[in-house]
Amino acid sequence: MIAGPTGMDLWQLLLTLAVAGSSDAFSGSEDSSGNPKFTKCRSPELETFSCHWTDGANHSLQSPGSVQMFYIRRDIQEWKECPDYVSAGENSCYFNSSYTSVWTPYCIKLTSNGGIVDHKCFSVEDIVQPDPPVGLNWTLLNISLTEIHADILVKWEPPPNTDVKMGWIILEYELHYKELNETQWKMMDPLLVTSVPMYSLRLDKEYEVRVRTRQRNTEKYGKFSEVLLITFPQMTPSACEEDFQFPWFLIIIFGILGLAVTLFLLIFSKQQRIKMLILPPVPVPKIKGIDPDLLKEGKLEEVNTILAIHDNYKHEFYNDDSWVEFIELDIDDPDEKTEGSDTDRLLSNDHEKSLSIFGAKDDDSGRTSCYEPDILETDFHVSDMCDGTSEAAQPQRLKGEADILCLDQKNQNNSPSNDAAPASQQPSVILVEENKPRPLLIGGTESTHQAVHTQLSNPSSLANIDFYAQVSDITPAGNVVLSPGQKNKTGNPQCDMHPEVVTPCQANFIMDNAYFCEVDAKKYISLAPHVEAESHVEPSFNQEDIYITTESLTTTAGRSGTAEHVPSSEIPVPDYTSIHIVQSPQGLVLNATALPLPDKEFLSSCGYVSTDQLNKIMP
Amino acid sequence: GALRGAIQKSGSRLLLLLVVSNLLLCQGVVSTPVCPNGAGNCQVSLRDLFDRAVMVSHYIHNLSSEMFNEFDKRYAQGKGFITMALNSCHTSSLPTPEDKEQAQQTHHEVLMSLILGLLRSWNDPLYHLVTEVRGMKGAPDAILSRAIEIEEENKRLLEGMEMIFGQVLPGAKETEPYPVWSGLPSLQTNDEDARYSAFYNLLHCLRRDSSKIDTYLKLLNCRIIYNNNC
Repeated sequence: MIAGPTGMDLWQLLLTLAVAGSSDAFSGSEDSSGNPKFTKCRSPELETFSCHWTDGANHSLQSPGSVQMFYIRRDIQEWKECPDYVSAGENSCYFNSSYTSVWTPYCIKLTSNGGIVDHKCFSVEDIVQPDPPVGLNWTLLNISLTEIHADILVKWEPPPNTDVKMGWIILEYELHYKELNETQWKMMDPLLVTSVPMYSLRLDKEYEVRVRTRQRNTEKYGKFSEVLLITFPQMTPSACEEDFQFPWFLIIIFGILGLAVTLFLLIFSKQQRIKMLILPPVPVPKIKGIDPDLLKEGKLEEVNTILAIHDNYKHEFYNDDSWVEFIELDIDDPDEKTEGSDTDRLLSNDHEKSLSIFGAKDDDSGRTSCYEPDILETDFHVSDMCDGTSEAAQPQRLKGEADILCLDQKNQNNSPSNDAAPASQQPSVILVEENKPRPLLIGGTESTHQAVHTQLSNPSSLANIDFYAQVSDITPAGNVVLSPGQKNKTGNPQCDMHPEVVTPCQANFIMDNAYFCEVDAKKYISLAPHVEAESHVEPSFNQEDIYITTESLTTTAGRSGTAEHVPSSEIPVPDYTSIHIVQSPQGLVLNATALPLPDKEFLSSCGYVSTDQLNKIMP
Repeated sequence: GALRGAIQKSGSRLLLLLVVSNLLLCQGVVSTPVCPNGAGNCQVSLRDLFDRAVMVSHYIHNLSSEMFNEFDKRYAQGKGFITMALNSCHTSSLPTPEDKEQAQQTHHEVLMSLILGLLRSWNDPLYHLVTEVRGMKGAPDAILSRAIEIEEENKRLLEGMEMIFGQVLPGAKETEPYPVWSGLPSLQTNDEDARYSAFYNLLHCLRRDSSKIDTYLKLLNCRIIYNNNC
């Protein structure tokens, strides 16, 4: 608030004056009276300010020094005279920092001979106009490769009196530049920093730059700095290269053309030697001795033969024939009717085939039907010889067949009481190897046996009756169906067949810990050759547990009532022994009626004869 | 002998490490001296806050200058509204430093309080200025849009300043009373000349106070952030 009535009066006076003189206060028109006028008030750094006025036209008329300037501030309610008429030059008033108060309205008046000739009101922050920047210089940044253009950095310093570091005043700069011979200055955008790069100046030209500054947010720029001249020292005397440029371009073009022409001539000329020299043919891949055409035509066989010559070439010939060797007939499955082929092999005289098959030891063909897989491993040799392939045993078997026939003849004499044998007469001794399941021989076979035996008792019918079972077919259940009557070839002459063949089998047979009754032992003793044959035959009979099965036996039993069926039934016809008791699945007690029992103790222990016992028995 | 030497070596290394770490930490403290731990939000660095504040105050000053010149050109020419000589601004009571020496001697806490006081005291006048300029007959859009902008920016600057105050002087209570503007009746008077005069005065004061705020903020920025080496 303004204090005091005197202040109010003073301000009203001022206002009147201002209103009166406002119209032409700053119009710039020349005062006709020639009175001094304020020209400019300016603060360069927001810390001091100065005001300038002009002399009146009638300066000479007035006494010097009659012009006075007074100022007044809001907080100092009185006019004061200018504190410094000298520092700012003539016709000026300089207010140092102690007299300067920013954001405070000032009013000044100019008097001449006591009369107010001019006045003015302002605030210091509105009259800021900095001094020009100092220290304008430039440095070279880089020169282009063509040595025609260059980049430079122009630097300067703010006016020394401005306190930019403290942040009292923020300055804004404007750079002007032009070529030396130009007249119009180009200006850059305002900057707040004191350096600026200039790009692509021509090295052969000279430039001028100047810079000015103003306080940010104000309109008035300060004065320009001194003009800086930029000239580049001559780098190389070859600056005149622009005038003459070696026509590299033309030389290159013509050179390429010439080369192209030469190449074309060479390529299409008929001078093969030169052509070969310049454009040698690309070597094709070649192997000695091989015509590449062969490869193209795809005759691989020829190529292979040729290549086989080379040691390092390994080629395996797989022809179709060899596959046959490796084909393995899977006869493990008893359901398959492969036994038919086995049966044929068993009975046929085709030794070669069997032998050949037998020779192929590494395959399972022909044997898998006889054995379970695990058994094969246990005693390969034995199986081969004795049981295994029925084909293998065939040659011996044939002999055994004959022997059995012989045996039959003999047995018939001794078997009148066979009818009374309660036990089922086993067609054949079923020799069981260790892991074999036992075929079931039940009483059903008794009558069969009896009937058969009856038949057998008739030597006349011997020729018509087979004394050993032949496998005619395999039932789906896995039972071997033995059929008689297929082979009548057995004859007495064959009885003379030596049993030596069987001997090894027997020995092997015993080794297997097969079960056999003392009857068998008796056989061995009394009928040494036959036993062997028998023993040999037996395994041939019982290659599998399915040779004689319940089914077949029951069939025979069923037919017991009908004797007439018996001869036609597929009953194995053993006459040398019969089943007395079936002790266990793995043991059969054979009826000893067929054979005399030399020793009683054997009877009791019928069914199981150990090796030792057998050895005793054996002579 | 060897053991002692080893211990000495390790000890010297440790000392070196300690010194280096201290230097680094001290450097960090010097560069950003004001952002103590636990002082709430220190997410925006003080430097950024100051940068933004300086930008906003510069903008406000520009707008107020333009607005004043616009108003002066339209309404005050030829009418002699040399009101600045007669009327004072409502914020004149604040003890703001008037020259560089005074400002240098003023503590940054005081300076910040003054800035906050100025900003707060202008909230109300700016709001009414917008309202009244809108109601002015034939008010040019240049003046109105700037008035609206200034009011918005003033609020932003106030928020920023409060954040700066919270970081520079954590825990200090800033409870300085600010001057209240009471010039609304003069803005709403029916006397057109009086009203225009009141507007002129208000705009002039706004320009001046925005210049003050701008200068004080630059001062603080250079002092606090750049260590008087802008």
